[in-house]
Amino acid sequence: MDVELIEIQEFLAKHPPFEQLPEEALEQLPRQFVVRYLKRGSRFPPSDDQAAHLYILRRGAIELRDAEGELVSKLAEGDLFSDVCLSGDSTSSSDHDKPSLTGETVEDSLLYSMTCAHFEQLRSAHPEFADYFDGSTTKRLRKALDAFTESSATTGGLMTVSARDLVRREPIMASPHISIREAANLMSVERASALLLTEDEQLSGIITDRDLRNRCVATGLSTEQPVSEIMTVAISTIDADALGFEALLQMTRLNVHHLPVVDGKQLLGMLSTSDFTRYQSTSGVYIVGDIHKADSVAALEAISAKVPDLQVQLISSGATGGHVGQAVSAVTDAITKRLLELAEAELGPPPVPYAWLVGGSQARREQSSHSDQDNALLIADGMSKDDDHYFRQLAERVNDGLNACGYIYCPGDVMAKTANWRQPLATWQQYFEHWIKRPDPKALMLASVFFDLRALHDPAGLFDGLHEQVLELSRDNRIFIAYMAANALKHRPPLGFFRNFVLIHGGDHDRTFDIKHRGTVPIIDLARVYALSSGLAPINTVERLEAAAETAALTHDGGANLIDAFELINTLRIRHQANQLRNGEKADNFLAPEQLSPLERGHLKDAFLLIDRMQETLGQRYQAGRFG
Amino acid sequence: MRSPSEGRRRHCLRQLDAGPLREYFGRPFPSPALDYRCVDYVAIDLETTGLDHRQDQILSVGWVLVRGQRIDLASARHRLLRCDGDIPAETAVIHQITDDEAAAGLRQSRVLRELLGVLAGRVLIAHHAKIELSFLDAACRDLYGAGLLVRCVDTEVLARRTFERRNIPFRPSELRLHSLCERYNLPRYRAHNAFYDALAAAELFLAQVAYRDNGNGFRLGDLL
Repeated sequence: MDVELIEIQEFLAKHPPFEQLPEEALEQLPRQFVVRYLKRGSRFPPSDDQAAHLYILRRGAIELRDAEGELVSKLAEGDLFSDVCLSGDSTSSSDHDKPSLTGETVEDSLLYSMTCAHFEQLRSAHPEFADYFDGSTTKRLRKALDAFTESSATTGGLMTVSARDLVRREPIMASPHISIREAANLMSVERASALLLTEDEQLSGIITDRDLRNRCVATGLSTEQPVSEIMTVAISTIDADALGFEALLQMTRLNVHHLPVVDGKQLLGMLSTSDFTRYQSTSGVYIVGDIHKADSVAALEAISAKVPDLQVQLISSGATGGHVGQAVSAVTDAITKRLLELAEAELGPPPVPYAWLVGGSQARREQSSHSDQDNALLIADGMSKDDDHYFRQLAERVNDGLNACGYIYCPGDVMAKTANWRQPLATWQQYFEHWIKRPDPKALMLASVFFDLRALHDPAGLFDGLHEQVLELSRDNRIFIAYMAANALKHRPPLGFFRNFVLIHGGDHDRTFDIKHRGTVPIIDLARVYALSSGLAPINTVERLEAAAETAALTHDGGANLIDAFELINTLRIRHQANQLRNGEKADNFLAPEQLSPLERGHLKDAFLLIDRMQETLGQRYQAGRFG
Repeated sequence: MRSPSEGRRRHCLRQLDAGPLREYFGRPFPSPALDYRCVDYVAIDLETTGLDHRQDQILSVGWVLVRGQRIDLASARHRLLRCDGDIPAETAVIHQITDDEAAAGLRQSRVLRELLGVLAGRVLIAHHAKIELSFLDAACRDLYGAGLLVRCVDTEVLARRTFERRNIPFRPSELRLHSLCERYNLPRYRAHNAFYDALAAAELFLAQVAYRDNGNGFRLGDLL
């Protein structure tokens, strides 16, 4: 019945964790608060509060510093400061060992305060509310991420369903020794478009309708031949517990329409693209299929125009930033490969083997629609001087084709058509040796794209040896790693979210912040340093962090937290882009804080705080300040 | 407006018969020599049918307690008064109290008794306090046959003094409650009613004393 305090109640209800409280508790809540005013430059928490209090900032801004006077966090409107109440509270495993923070109001501030005793009562009466404080930033990030995928996924979406659940019937299996005709017969009786061939319960191959057509009927092969003659061997499978989404991604990446599902050694069944149609997320698979059929740059251009739609569609079906990155990169890979095929068809076979290398976000499989292109050519050492003529033409065709498809020329000219980046293996080895053994900051900044490198087309396996060599050199080379660490500290996350503290002023991006350079890039850079310092092969940021968490470079918790933070920030970024694309705008990385809910802002702050701590640790380990 | 003395209070106390006003006068006024941080205040706002206490009526009263530098939200109250006669359309637009609501309100005597109980031994805070003081005084005369004496902090007067002391030119509109709240980075409430105006005045008071206080406090008398 506290009608008079309704506006204060509404304010509280908008901010986490109070929105967790039931209506009756919310109605009683404002009466438990005292209002205080601290003019700019006042000490916080106020020294004249006798008992310990919890504070909520209604107006103004506060900077919090640790015992060394380092700025740790900023509080903005709606932010909660509960450290005093939670410290020394043995039941809560919150961000413990953290020394107590002191602060100062940097604007005139109005605060609501509540005694810790009242706060304690609230927590014990409302477990949902208490959950918010129970546990660290870590747990909150994890929960935020879960809520993300849950809330946006339509019921039973691909993000919630496992490959096991998608399997609709027992696998149709036969021996590879039966004849092609028998196999075809079995498929038509069973109304199956593919057949698994097993021997001693081991999967030995698969045939599909298409194989019957292309490898048997079209070639005039006798149908009495054993089916093993035309089956595809070395097929990839997916684990039964993988998400439906991952199955779809794998099919997209491999350009296959059938995927066997296995539980340990046991075959559970088979997924085909038609199993996904009701999830409306199939376009990735079809886009890749179309790319393989495209016979001109113009055709590829038309197909690549669908990539933004793919991004929007994936996000609305509950995909995370990581999933979108995988799917979009798979499409870019396919387009690049197709351009190479078309170029080779025109120019003839290469005079010596070569590898087409991709760098940056494509190498990490973290692209969003139509990033810049980063690529290079690695050519076998046997090349003669004249051979470069061929490779220059090849590179130009692919670079121009990619540009036409929306992957614009790299502003730094990191492209195969640039002579420097189209070199024989021996030269590449020298490049890397130079970068690692005689690092200088400027060159390293340019070179950082080359430490995220993946061979996209490499029939002769030229790249693997080089990659191993690079990791061998970089591992334990403290000076090089120190330079990379200093590099990784160039982009710092914002420490608070404020109307004007961290925002860009003026220009096209007035009152926004760059979620890429302030959010995802710092984590990508950290992961690269961890990977190089321990000689880890993965290129993808999440995979790098997972691998690093198994080494001394990173703790288990540190790894898990960074992965969550990365997924969270990246998902917000990709969603922002999906919204822009949906509105027919060009996608960018400039987010206005008002676009975020208070809850999302809170989670982002947690993520930023975590990045800041990890950067500090890295900086201290390598005394990065000396190399910056 | 001079702050009433303790002598006048004791005089009034002797003149009055038993009743809410006599009980009110039974509690001493806070001494102007006290540190303002040790004093309790009541921030009050009235909505009325007009500006003339001789013919207009009180429609609603809102108040909240201020203990030193802290507003105690548990003490927040908003009371609608029963009102006879029609509410003039032009004022109804502002406070949005309809005839029906006013008819369903509480009797003035009941609300005044409650308010006097809260006000006893405390200092009244209001913005442009003349209105509040004159209407409450008239109501007391009407009901108890004697006027209301109360120590009072007028946030508008404090603001005017600050402008004048610092030689800052100001327009009258800058003395309005909402302009001043904005000046001190205080929240702007959507509702325009007696309670939110009382709360806004209380918040303004906190801001004004925060800016006046160098950390050592000062006498209540400096605010009266």
